[in-house]
Amino acid sequence: MKRSIFKKGLRGFWWLTIGFLYLPLIVVMLFSFNASNSAASFTGISLRWYRRLLGNDAILSALSNSLLLAVISSLVALVIGCLIGYGMYRHRHRKLGWLIVLIYLPIVLPDIVFGISEMTFFVKINELTGLLSPGLSTMIIAHVTFQIPFVALIVYSRFVGLDPSLFEAAKDLYATPRQRVQFFMLPTLKPALISAFFLSFTLSLDDFVISFFTSGPESATLPIYIWSAIRKGVTPEINAIATLMMMAVAIAAIASLWLSRRRTVS
Amino acid sequence: MSDPQMVMDESLQRVEPQESAVGERGERLAASSIEMKGLHKRFGNDAVALNGVDLTIRAGEFFTLLGPSGCGKTTLLRILAGLEEADDGTLIIGGKDVTEEPPHRRSVNTVFQSYALFPHLSVRENLAFGLKMRGVGAQEREAKVAEVANLIQLGELVDRRIDQLSGGQRQRIALARALVCEPDVLLLDEPLSALDAGLRSQLQVELLRVQKRLGMTFVFVTHDQQEAMVMSDRIAVLNGGNIQQIGSPREIYETPINVFVARFMGHDNLYAITEREGCRVTTPVGTLELEGGSEGEFVLIRPETLDLKLGHVAGTNHLPGRITERLYRGSHAEYRIAIGATSLQATVNNRGHHLPDVGDEVTLVVSSEDLVTLSE
Amino acid sequence: MSKTTAVIGRRQAIVRETRHLLFTVTPGAAWIFIFLVLPSAYLMSVAFMSNGPYGLPEMPLSLTSFQQLAGQGFLGWSPGNLLTLMRSLWQTVLSTVLVVLVAYPIAYYISQADIRWRPIMLLAVVVPSWTNQVIRTFGWMNLLAPGTPLAELAEAMGMIAPNMGLYPSNFAVTLGLVYNFLPFMVLPLYAAFEKLNFALVEAARDLYASPFKAFWHAVFPQTLPGLLAGVVLVAIPAFGMYVIPELLGGGKGMMLGNLVANQFAGSANWPLGAAGAILMLIATFIGLYAMRRIGKRLGGGEEVVI
Repeated sequence: MKRSIFKKGLRGFWWLTIGFLYLPLIVVMLFSFNASNSAASFTGISLRWYRRLLGNDAILSALSNSLLLAVISSLVALVIGCLIGYGMYRHRHRKLGWLIVLIYLPIVLPDIVFGISEMTFFVKINELTGLLSPGLSTMIIAHVTFQIPFVALIVYSRFVGLDPSLFEAAKDLYATPRQRVQFFMLPTLKPALISAFFLSFTLSLDDFVISFFTSGPESATLPIYIWSAIRKGVTPEINAIATLMMMAVAIAAIASLWLSRRRTVS
Repeated sequence: MSDPQMVMDESLQRVEPQESAVGERGERLAASSIEMKGLHKRFGNDAVALNGVDLTIRAGEFFTLLGPSGCGKTTLLRILAGLEEADDGTLIIGGKDVTEEPPHRRSVNTVFQSYALFPHLSVRENLAFGLKMRGVGAQEREAKVAEVANLIQLGELVDRRIDQLSGGQRQRIALARALVCEPDVLLLDEPLSALDAGLRSQLQVELLRVQKRLGMTFVFVTHDQQEAMVMSDRIAVLNGGNIQQIGSPREIYETPINVFVARFMGHDNLYAITEREGCRVTTPVGTLELEGGSEGEFVLIRPETLDLKLGHVAGTNHLPGRITERLYRGSHAEYRIAIGATSLQATVNNRGHHLPDVGDEVTLVVSSEDLVTLSE
Repeated sequence: MSKTTAVIGRRQAIVRETRHLLFTVTPGAAWIFIFLVLPSAYLMSVAFMSNGPYGLPEMPLSLTSFQQLAGQGFLGWSPGNLLTLMRSLWQTVLSTVLVVLVAYPIAYYISQADIRWRPIMLLAVVVPSWTNQVIRTFGWMNLLAPGTPLAELAEAMGMIAPNMGLYPSNFAVTLGLVYNFLPFMVLPLYAAFEKLNFALVEAARDLYASPFKAFWHAVFPQTLPGLLAGVVLVAIPAFGMYVIPELLGGGKGMMLGNLVANQFAGSANWPLGAAGAILMLIATFIGLYAMRRIGKRLGGGEEVVI
């Protein structure tokens, strides 16, 4: 008797929490279809805010900046992070404490400190050399910096999970160092690289603080655009962009889940 | 599958290489010999893995490196494979000095203890891996893979994924993946240790069959002396980075040269010689008459060479005692017999007559020629 | 002779391995060093410079920025900055405690569910955090704005003045922090519950009469490593939070992150901002270090600190 009350209470609490987690998102989606521009009352379904988006050049350029930034930084981080992850694995018996500290630094550093460090540094370099004026290039550098650790750790843990004899078997079966990379390491790593890329991509899309401090006047990304729109006064248009971004993330997440599910089943 | 008993009988004689199952390349079947000279290896600053190993393995031989863990047998095997570099010494395989060659340039293949099958490849792709790396064309690869899959009787599995295979199947695929490359030497690193007893003895027989059929040089690492005796043409017993003894299974078992080898081969009846007068020696179990010319500080009495007589009977090499323990094993019985302050093990075949029981006074009889002396 | 060849061979191997290590590790290590370690070092040095005309750092070196952080201005001492610091600490502690109170039963509930449902339930908790932080906070602005059901409910209960929204306020910031960090606590706690040794719970049921005692002696200690990992994951970023207080807090809900960021925007004063950043870093490393120590004492070892 007592137990069942406990269980019912837990279940109720679970659904309450789920409601709490999804309510703000649902409200954003709902009001993106609102016919009026009121944030308090829903007056009817309309697509007018979505239509407005299409005519808004600032939003379209923010979208392309976001995608460009995410793709380029993820690719750069993938190469660098993959190398460092392999190096950490191959030399795991050495004392690499300094490397571990270095790799965890971007993860543990508070975003705001990360962002303003980059900003002050880029300003100083720009002052000294005229290079690295704030814009897409500085944002790419900053994003790669926080993506590298995640790629490295994913690659490292994939290697650690492998039977070490596999590396030796490849050597033993006449694979030259180049062939080992081509026919053993890269194929074995493929799932890890795909998920590392997806993670880097979403981290980049999701980032606001670091982008905010390293961006230039021409390189606003979607989160930055939304931020400044909010500061200027809440407009229902933001609901529409936000809904589209949520959809994009949901689709990407479902796709990557489906991919990984298929990999384990087939 | 062929009758295990027959295969084992076959293994007792040296089988000359006759026909090849992998290709019709008669010349390769003059399989390669291996020569090791002064191989040294240490890990870190203090752990000595190999302490100057000199060893010659004959072409076409099933050779076993036997010893407890940490004796250096696996290090030696890895040096043969090129996965570990010797600090010093030379290694010659098939007349060619390969000391400095990296593994991918040695015609040597390994069956790993964990099998090390590539999880991202199918069975077929695993089997073809070595050939592909060597640049063998797709058609020839296909033919060879089919042939080797046939040899190990797993033709129907080639399109499976690795995680769909049982332990025994994986073991055989690992063997086939190494064999298909037709190496000069095949190295096997405790390949059967992960299998249960029944499967293990079945695969021992199969492995022997393949080796005899191909006439390939096999170097086999194990810590199981039973397995070593069943499989090998010759055995090297290692301890602490040194070779203790090299010989046929019978030599190693019946005439171990020192206490370590004797104990490792499972012998318990080892007694220190306290006094010596010509051929007569005194030991804790009594006075024994040895054959002429035998030297050493210990005497070994193998349990199966002892005869058990009821009551106390006097005579040379007659040892009186009392049965303290009997383990009935069906085909034979194992006895522990107290003699003075010490005890002795004896094995008696069950021929259907009376088996003495615990508490019986008995006399153990052994002939001088069955007594082995050995050194510390 | 053989001894020397052995030594040479060994040295060659070491050289080869070291070259490999450098080749694989250098690009990433150099990247992080140049683009994060150097910039942070520069930022820290800025804290010890004087404030120039446009808020930019200047020589000579001084400790003025730290005095300013403590509230010393040219109009004398004012408590504003210290209040902001206290508020940051208070918000961090409060939201972390609230997150634990919500996440603990949730993680337990998931761990007790049918094994097929568990990944889906975890996913359900995590999915909202995939949405951009600005958007999530904006969602709460929608919910807490004047005239919304929540605001009207609060108004009817007399908690806020008429026609005022529930934001900007400290309450809204706390809510936003709890919302933002809940998944970070559920995941490590779930991992701890998943590993829970129920034999100990059964034993405790035998030994202690009350379920509470059984929980306290058998369950809670086993989930402590996960709890601590969650606390690190929540408290450290919460202390440096910028977006949520900026959007939901307004002037009176400001936290350290906003104080720092403001020094690099409108009312520029880089040295003061840098001093605030140093404070944040110190808090971060103290937090990490404390968790590590506690984690080691509990025997959770390395895995406690991610």
